Amino acid sequence: MLITLLSHQWKSFWRSRSAGKGLAVQLFLGFLVLYLLAVAVGLGFYLNTFIQKTFPGKDVVLVFCGFILYYFFADILMRFLLQDLPTLTIQPYLIQNIKRRQLISFLNIRSLFNFFNLLPLLLFIPFSVVIIGGKFGAAASAGFLISIFFLTVFNHFLILYIKRKIIVNAWWMVGFFVVFVGLGLCDYFNIFSLTNISSIIFSKLIYHFWLCFIAVALAAFSFINNYNFLLKNLFLEDISGKSKCRESTEYAFLDRFGNMGELISLDVKLLLRNKRPRTALLLSAAFLFYGFIFYKPEAIANGNYGFLLMGGIFITGIFIINYGQFLFAWQSSHFDGLMAGNLHVRTYIKSKFFLLTAVSTVIFFISSLYGLLTWKIIVIQAAAYFYNIGINTVIVGYFATRSYKAIDISRGATFNYQGLGASQWIYSLFVFLVPMAIYLPFSLLINKWAGIFALGIAGLISLLLQDWWIGVLTKQFFKRKYLILQGFREK
Amino acid sequence: MITVNNIGKAYGGVIVVDITQLQINVGETIGLVGNNGAGKTTFFRLLLDLIKADRGEILSKEKNVATSEEWKNYTAAYLDEGFLIGYLTPEEYFYFTGKLNNRSKPDVDEFLKTFDLFFDGSILNSGKYIRDLSKGNQFKVGIAACLLQDTEILILDEPFANLDPSTQMRLIKMLKELQEQRRMTIFVSSHDLSHVTDVCSRILLMEKGKIIKDQTTTEETLKELEQYFKV
Repeated sequence: MLITLLSHQWKSFWRSRSAGKGLAVQLFLGFLVLYLLAVAVGLGFYLNTFIQKTFPGKDVVLVFCGFILYYFFADILMRFLLQDLPTLTIQPYLIQNIKRRQLISFLNIRSLFNFFNLLPLLLFIPFSVVIIGGKFGAAASAGFLISIFFLTVFNHFLILYIKRKIIVNAWWMVGFFVVFVGLGLCDYFNIFSLTNISSIIFSKLIYHFWLCFIAVALAAFSFINNYNFLLKNLFLEDISGKSKCRESTEYAFLDRFGNMGELISLDVKLLLRNKRPRTALLLSAAFLFYGFIFYKPEAIANGNYGFLLMGGIFITGIFIINYGQFLFAWQSSHFDGLMAGNLHVRTYIKSKFFLLTAVSTVIFFISSLYGLLTWKIIVIQAAAYFYNIGINTVIVGYFATRSYKAIDISRGATFNYQGLGASQWIYSLFVFLVPMAIYLPFSLLINKWAGIFALGIAGLISLLLQDWWIGVLTKQFFKRKYLILQGFREK
Repeated sequence: MITVNNIGKAYGGVIVVDITQLQINVGETIGLVGNNGAGKTTFFRLLLDLIKADRGEILSKEKNVATSEEWKNYTAAYLDEGFLIGYLTPEEYFYFTGKLNNRSKPDVDEFLKTFDLFFDGSILNSGKYIRDLSKGNQFKVGIAACLLQDTEILILDEPFANLDPSTQMRLIKMLKELQEQRRMTIFVSSHDLSHVTDVCSRILLMEKGKIIKDQTTTEETLKELEQYFKV
């Protein structure tokens, strides 16, 4: 039975509508996955040399040991944001004569076929076998392999459990973030160090093989926990939360903006009530933490402002990039209605600008907390912010008028390339190139601050011209209106 | 009200709409009949400027619908689910449409009261988003949102197809009232010949994109149509 179910999954993957479409996209994705895997394997084999070079004079094995838990910690966040729940796939089977335990086993096994489960194995196995095995013998090597494998399994089912819990009760999400961010902050401010804990545990593992059974026990616990939860909640109503009563919401403060306000509140509801846009929103929130990666004390001390600026553009502009790349396509399912409705295209486009600007402003203010590190970051982020709301919004709007692919907003976003067309790929290039084109001449001819100010001022000027830009984009829209409409109708 | 000049549309070499001349006057109720692929929906889409015509033009109040946005002020349409916003509750959708047409919330509430019978208790306060409603109920939402707009032109694509029998009767009654009391110009396409001849004052029979019959409804019309569609 399990085999039959898995073969159905295989078919559904290859026969899905998006799978057949766009050979170029398929090829690109294939190469991307192959490339990532190759990088992981390469990195796995190269890890030894890499550690020696990066941390000269340190014990390679100790550094490696310190890295393992750190990886699995980051892995949890990555999975939380990107790993999908395999829920809907069982819907047609619930009414068939299949035992529930079989279905749950199927769900669990099916979920294991996941990119995130392959990654740690590829990354850690070569080192564990070659270096650990070479230095400390087969037992130590086996201990590492077993630990890494079962830690992967532990993470996998832990995330599935948390995600399922969140569907039932949204407070779990808050709890998850509080715990995760709390641990992250503790590590960042050296209250305790994940690296140290990790290196202590794993260097013990070298000599005490039995320690790897802790990982096995953890994995077993998280598997059984998830299994029991599913057994109790397999009914669709419970899992998809459909029995929930939907209430009407009105945002009174948007009333004063007339039709535009109405469109904005429509967008807000779109963001909050649909899976894929919600993920985009969540990702934007998660990107706020990228400051800890970009705004390194070394980068600030070395005057590496170009790098900081890039970080600032990403952090303050992530919503524009993420949401804006499908600016109109989010509404593809009811675009016919919008275009036939009593609504001017100009107002429609204006409402999009308003939304992008408003959310970016909120992100800008929150991310200004990084200013606690140094005032320079505030200035850099302000320049990035003005660039984003002044220029990036226009670029994103322009590409939106050239994007003809529909999106199913109810589906997850991870590795979901539905709706991606040439214009999105080109746009992702522009995200880098345009700010660089403004920044580089000034920073090379005068100095880095001149480049930063140039970017900010260019953004401000463009912002003042926003009304004019909206006119331009409206014209662009009308040029390709039918193409957009036709594309959106082809689901 | 509406003038169609030599409009044509083809998909991949197949002609879908091909109308040389058509004049629709204020207050007429037009029934569009024809088998699948006759071009009824495509014609509606052209009327609403949702697809680009290969040639010709459609004038609404003497203005080309493809170049002016004015027709949106006095035209309401419901073709399919693509006109509904799935993640809104029905109430939110009505307020949204109301707002775009300058109708205040209390105004909309007042209007919805007259739809109690039509909704049959399964639309308002149902605690569901539109995407979770059944096909028939979604259709009711779409039609009500159209009527809410208080417009001069109303376009409905196969409104009877998804409705239960009592709602079909109610819709027929409403359409007749709209025509009589407000002189609304109405377009209805349908496969239900008796309904369409009951409601409409003028019937257009389409075949492969062409209007092959254009006549005022008389008592003979139903029989003639049945004759045409006979297998």
